[in-house]
Amino acid sequence: MPEYNRRERLLGKWGEWSVDNWGKALIIASVITVLLGFGMVRLKMEMTFYSMLPDRSNQVRDLKSIVENFSYASGILVVIDGRSIEDPAKAEQTVRDTIDAITLEYSKDIYKPYIASVIGKVDMSLFKKHGLMLTKMNDLERLKRSYSNLNLVPLLEHINDDFEAEYSGNSDKLAEEESDAVTRFKGLGDLLELIEYAAEGQNISDSRLDEVLESYLFGDPYIMSNDNRMGLMIVQPTFTMNDISMLQPGVDTIEAGAKKIASERGIKAGLTGITTVGRDEIVTSSKGLVVSSILALILILGLLVLMFRMFSVPLISGIPLITGILWTLGLSGLIIHRLNIMTAMYIVALLGMGIDDAIHLLSGYIQERDGGSDFKTAIERSLIKSGSGIITGAFTTAAAFFTLTIAQNNLIKELGFVAGLGILSELIVMFLMIPPLLAYREQRLVKKGKTGNRIFTKVRIKSDAAAGIGKLLVKAPVAVAVVMSLIIISFSLKAGDVGIQDNLLEMEAKGLESVHLNDEMIKEFGMAPDGLLIISSDLKEVRDLTDKIDKLSSVKSVESLADFYISDTEYKERSSFLRQFITDLDSTESMAEVNTDSLLKELYRLEMNLIEMGDMAYMGNMDRLVNTLGNMTGIDEDGVKTEETSFDRLYSMLEDNRSIGASPALKALQSSVFYKMNQKIRTMASTGKISLDMLPSNIRDSLISRDGESYLISVSPTRNPWEGAYRDIFTDQMESVTDKGTGMILVGDQMNLMAQADGRRASLFAVIVVFLILVADFRNIKLAIITMLPLLGSFITLFGIMAVTGIKFDFINIIVVPLLIGIGIDDAVHINHRYLREGKGRMNVVIAMTGTALLMTTLTTVFGFASFIPSIMRAMRSTGIVLSLAMAIAFLNSVLFHPAVLIIVTEKLGWNIKPWRNDKNDNETT
Amino acid sequence: MKKTFISALLVSAITIGSLTAQTAQEIVDRADEAFQGDRVYSTSSMTVYKSGEAQAVQKIESYTMEKAGKTYSLSVYTAPRRMKGTANLMIEDDLWVRFGSTGRTRKLSSSAKKNSAGGSDFSYADMGDGGQGLSEKYTPQLTGENTVEGERCYEIELIANASDAPYEKMVVYITKDNYRYLKIEYFENNANIKSMTFYDYKTVNGTDYPFRYIMESHTKPSVTEVIVDIFEIDSSKVKDRMFTTGYLESIR
Repeated sequence: MPEYNRRERLLGKWGEWSVDNWGKALIIASVITVLLGFGMVRLKMEMTFYSMLPDRSNQVRDLKSIVENFSYASGILVVIDGRSIEDPAKAEQTVRDTIDAITLEYSKDIYKPYIASVIGKVDMSLFKKHGLMLTKMNDLERLKRSYSNLNLVPLLEHINDDFEAEYSGNSDKLAEEESDAVTRFKGLGDLLELIEYAAEGQNISDSRLDEVLESYLFGDPYIMSNDNRMGLMIVQPTFTMNDISMLQPGVDTIEAGAKKIASERGIKAGLTGITTVGRDEIVTSSKGLVVSSILALILILGLLVLMFRMFSVPLISGIPLITGILWTLGLSGLIIHRLNIMTAMYIVALLGMGIDDAIHLLSGYIQERDGGSDFKTAIERSLIKSGSGIITGAFTTAAAFFTLTIAQNNLIKELGFVAGLGILSELIVMFLMIPPLLAYREQRLVKKGKTGNRIFTKVRIKSDAAAGIGKLLVKAPVAVAVVMSLIIISFSLKAGDVGIQDNLLEMEAKGLESVHLNDEMIKEFGMAPDGLLIISSDLKEVRDLTDKIDKLSSVKSVESLADFYISDTEYKERSSFLRQFITDLDSTESMAEVNTDSLLKELYRLEMNLIEMGDMAYMGNMDRLVNTLGNMTGIDEDGVKTEETSFDRLYSMLEDNRSIGASPALKALQSSVFYKMNQKIRTMASTGKISLDMLPSNIRDSLISRDGESYLISVSPTRNPWEGAYRDIFTDQMESVTDKGTGMILVGDQMNLMAQADGRRASLFAVIVVFLILVADFRNIKLAIITMLPLLGSFITLFGIMAVTGIKFDFINIIVVPLLIGIGIDDAVHINHRYLREGKGRMNVVIAMTGTALLMTTLTTVFGFASFIPSIMRAMRSTGIVLSLAMAIAFLNSVLFHPAVLIIVTEKLGWNIKPWRNDKNDNETT
Repeated sequence: MKKTFISALLVSAITIGSLTAQTAQEIVDRADEAFQGDRVYSTSSMTVYKSGEAQAVQKIESYTMEKAGKTYSLSVYTAPRRMKGTANLMIEDDLWVRFGSTGRTRKLSSSAKKNSAGGSDFSYADMGDGGQGLSEKYTPQLTGENTVEGERCYEIELIANASDAPYEKMVVYITKDNYRYLKIEYFENNANIKSMTFYDYKTVNGTDYPFRYIMESHTKPSVTEVIVDIFEIDSSKVKDRMFTTGYLESIR
């Protein structure tokens, strides 16, 4: 008669009671499920990377504060793409028209819940009134030189002086100021055109002159790409990317509006920026999880039907499985109130892990029935024989997960809670529900007259393949151990090379428009949407930092309130300068006529300056400038004069007729330019003090926190900051100026660092806890150590394969570490229990009897994980691959390496692996 | 008189440092010996790759001369068509640019030497500066050994010791077996902003010279490759009169 310990006897008694009282047992399970339903109601799905950010780092805290307090950080970038239109001029105009149309569209009521403000054009109102007061002294002096005399010839002369002083031979400066330069040159081109028309005798309307001067002085209000065929709008949403309920409908609505308007004009529009990427994360991860859940369930239940040849198995195992998932969700809702991407993925994976308990119980039950036991005895014995292994396996797994709750960041901590609760929930539910469900089935069969001991005759739990492996192990344990060791050692040589994924965008779904547009913005606009952000409560610090950061070679541009900070000393200095400037301006008078010779001289000079700047732009690959200057000078990319320009026509007219300078039209133009420009400059030279509440609302809302206490500095890098090597340069240079920078690129690093640190600490703790459980279960330290060996081999092999195949660790797939510790040991535990029961020399029987069940549990677990592989979200796909691989490796090590080692140490070396002390009660025979 | 030239290869920006770093100094001196000579004439093709796309190939004739302790350098573009006749003249810290398209010559401020030359990843200073003026601005320090392009190299840091040094730091890699420069890394604000790597060393007048070198920017998606076609030392093509603004204006 076999000897049963206390736990086994308790399990046997539960089997007996639950069969006799199957209805009561099912009611108990149902009541608990209903009670936990309250937890499910409280559960929120937070499926963005942002929601997973750890809050123990200053950088993350700052980023969260910025997202919550500055609408700038949540800005949705609407990219208008007119590249499908071949004619550049038409494309540019269509893009501008589309921006205006989308701005109008967004003023409709349906967008009001989602849009706080729209920036289609830059608001120049403040600059038009106080532009000169906002200009630094050295630039003011330059402007004073340029505008000291607004008659045509002196104006052109000073413009030429300025070009020669600022840009000649300085392609870097030209590149830095390309956008402004393009606008200025365009304005200048328009002015030349007006001079040409006037020289022809045409009168220039006030409105046209006003338009040209505005363009020349204040630039292009639209944000255009380098070749003007794309445009950019910024939508400030009413929500942040943390407002999960608003995120998806809000971004969807804004996107639909832009796409509709663009489509009506035959061009395209798309959204990017972290808020849009956040929406995409929700959509792709949710879609991925739904597909994964269905796929995993179908595969798992299909496998069960196939293996057990019993169509009621999906119900008998599926009902407890789903109930266990519901319990886990309910408990998660009660304790942590939410699921993130990682924990939601775990819930799907739990389908594959939770079913393992059912497989072991059903296998034991079927083996008993096959062996001739009646229903009740089969239930009792299956619980007794399989129960201990199942409980120990579940406890080691749950313990490994619960150790994660010591992690510092919530991401890992939540995973620990949910995963541990999941394993325990499934364990309890399986024991609670499977015996009564089998009893219910038995009762129905009896009613239908289908009774008898061998009702599962088609089932073959003891498979030939498993028996064959068992025989091989018994015959050549040393050879098997050596081969497996060599495989592990060979992978150990590469294991250290496994990489870390530091590009968050590489974890997103492939082909996402938001990610694609992120790259396009770098290429077409020369700006990367993902830069660094700094908050400061001191405007002087904002300016100091802005000045320093702006000089860094890895920085494309800096947006801040720096220009709006004017110290008292500066205010006095600039006021005094501007007063003198106006006085000097007043001392000049409109000339009676234009000196034709001087005009010609300055036009020649201007044309040469523009040609030289065109050369520099050409060599510097500044396409936008090359086009603009080429249009003005008629020179093509090869430097060949191909078109007649205003210059040529003016030369012709002025050289032929030197009296044109005294013509009424040109005199009138000179007079109008003089007075209108004078008026505009005088307006710009207002010496009134500037306060922050005078800022245009879009600037104020973007760069000042909602409580008005802090200010934002936004730094755009010169390249894609997600590229590892460049990111280091960008962040190193930034750190040479300030350690206050934050942004998704740094936070991604923080996530990796914290996941690694927590992973290491929790894993070490998990290994200790699992080891202690094994010691408590087997009461033999040697056996506990031997049982840990395949786990070590599995880690080495997994890391080696990842290094060889180039699969990187990221903060999602790092989940494999605790999962492997928790699950990877289960198979070895089951083999140990069976081996201890069967005794020395019977490893072939052990593997024959447990091998198929172990294979099935491994397959179901792998199905659970592999269901992530079809996901379009690369983080989920990678996690699916890594976890499936890990489970397959763990299985092979458990059924080949571990039994071989067991045979060698017990049967060849004579180690004693029996429990060191037998409890008095345990010695009782049942 | 020992004549030293600093070729368009820039490498001689690295020379005499502190007395306390003898070993590093000796290595750098040995490497610099390869660039000792005078009146160097070279023709080269320079291609700038922006985001991987090759721009128009720039053909350049370079003339370098060392006289009375001053370094003279003249680079004349012969292609592409648009840039033909454009030239840069550098005499120590003075820099002039002559535009082929307009025939005008402009004197630039000395700070412009840090600017990009011809839209490439080389600065004007990289293209033609050097000599004792620059060498005095860095202190060499041997920091270890490293493998570059499969060859074991000394790794030497050159820390700027003058406020007007073009870079705050350079790290040079010099082969252990034959004292060739293989790589130079340029640092600004704690970061390696660009790197130059040397290839295809050939022997000219008994000394080894790289006939191909690549400057890669790490802050922009840009790489510049220079292939030297002709390289002559003590060349009769290099005349004193070339290093004047008058000569610049006469270039056609």
